[in-house]
Amino acid sequence: MTQTSDGIRHEPEPRAPGMVTLRIDGRLVRAREGRTLLAVAREAGIEIPTLCHHEALEPSGGCRLCVVDVSRREREAEPRLVAACLHPVEEGLDVRTASERVLCVRREILDLLLARCPESPPVQRLARAHGIFESSYREAPDPTLCILCGLCTRLCDALGPAAISLVGRGIGREVAPPFQAPPPDCIGCLSCALICPTGHILWSSSEAGNRIWGRTFPWLRCPTCGRAHLTEAAADFWAARTGVPRVELETCDACKRAATGATVARLAAAG
Amino acid sequence: MERILRVSVFRCIACGKCELACAFAHGREGRPAAARIRVLSQGPDRGIPLVCLQCHEAACVAVCPVGALSRDPERGVVVLSEARCIRCGVCVAACPFGAMLPEEDGRVAKCDLCGGAPRCVPFCPTGALEYLPAEAAQRGPAADGTRDAPRA
Repeated sequence: MTQTSDGIRHEPEPRAPGMVTLRIDGRLVRAREGRTLLAVAREAGIEIPTLCHHEALEPSGGCRLCVVDVSRREREAEPRLVAACLHPVEEGLDVRTASERVLCVRREILDLLLARCPESPPVQRLARAHGIFESSYREAPDPTLCILCGLCTRLCDALGPAAISLVGRGIGREVAPPFQAPPPDCIGCLSCALICPTGHILWSSSEAGNRIWGRTFPWLRCPTCGRAHLTEAAADFWAARTGVPRVELETCDACKRAATGATVARLAAAG
Repeated sequence: MERILRVSVFRCIACGKCELACAFAHGREGRPAAARIRVLSQGPDRGIPLVCLQCHEAACVAVCPVGALSRDPERGVVVLSEARCIRCGVCVAACPFGAMLPEEDGRVAKCDLCGGAPRCVPFCPTGALEYLPAEAAQRGPAADGTRDAPRA
């Protein structure tokens, strides 16, 4: 039994197995063990800014914008700064997502990012939201749109080809295919370009096929209508990876609907 | 309880109201081309409504590399998590029925049964679309045009 400030005695809630209780910005939150602070905070409606997080991809802790203050009251006097996207929830943890120190660190990161990528819309947006309209650092001599969030490389890893990666160190760090050459493992699916939050990855699509990373990927055309809907390389890759026969990947979605309709009509006519 | 969106093809008059209801329900400003249910025309007053079959062993769920698609057996629906989707398009290529609908920006649209109250059903004037408990749906529609249950 614990005495509370309202003078009423409450039975302490029994701890459910696999569940932990922690405090985020003063609110008591219950969460399943093993989940990250970011996921739990977002579920509780507490927004933590991120640039490199994606629900489906491994967290990388790359952008550091999701830093939060954590402390275990009984063990630590000083709160520590951790990346919320990587740090698991713990029993009794006290998390602060917008303390003065957290905001100071976030502003510093955004200040640096804005010097590196002054034209990058998500960086501009977040910087503005934190009161930064111009970087206090000297603008990079060759500004880029790439914020090094690694979404494209992690996506390509998750998909399977792993055709691109983050290479180099320090100011030379960039996203690139191996040896800066047209990547042999790329399937031309354009997913990396579509997930890129800043439009840094350049691509084009024409009658000949998709062009990205210095390579052109010829179309596989629907055998029924001739529409280009998939690259040859993607069809080969997915057939091998998923076990779906390649011939079933070749027909476009519209022709498959027409075929489904024809089957239904035949069945309906047969009663 | 598992419920099924039952399509009785012989009742469809190809009026296209289901497409419009769907297009509005999913915030597409009523553009029927963006609807997740498509009526395949079979003449001026006959059509075949085509919509996701919510397969028990769905090809889209099996091939998704990031688990963005999953089947909820309780509700009998294959759900696409837009937050998890990485727009690779493999589900579009793998669905044997053409029920995964690719959009221009790489996103995929699919019928989600509107979270348990499919909007197309109350707009269908002939009862070609019904949303029924799985058991009732499997008994098959009455050929005389009577309906099994009040429409949702």
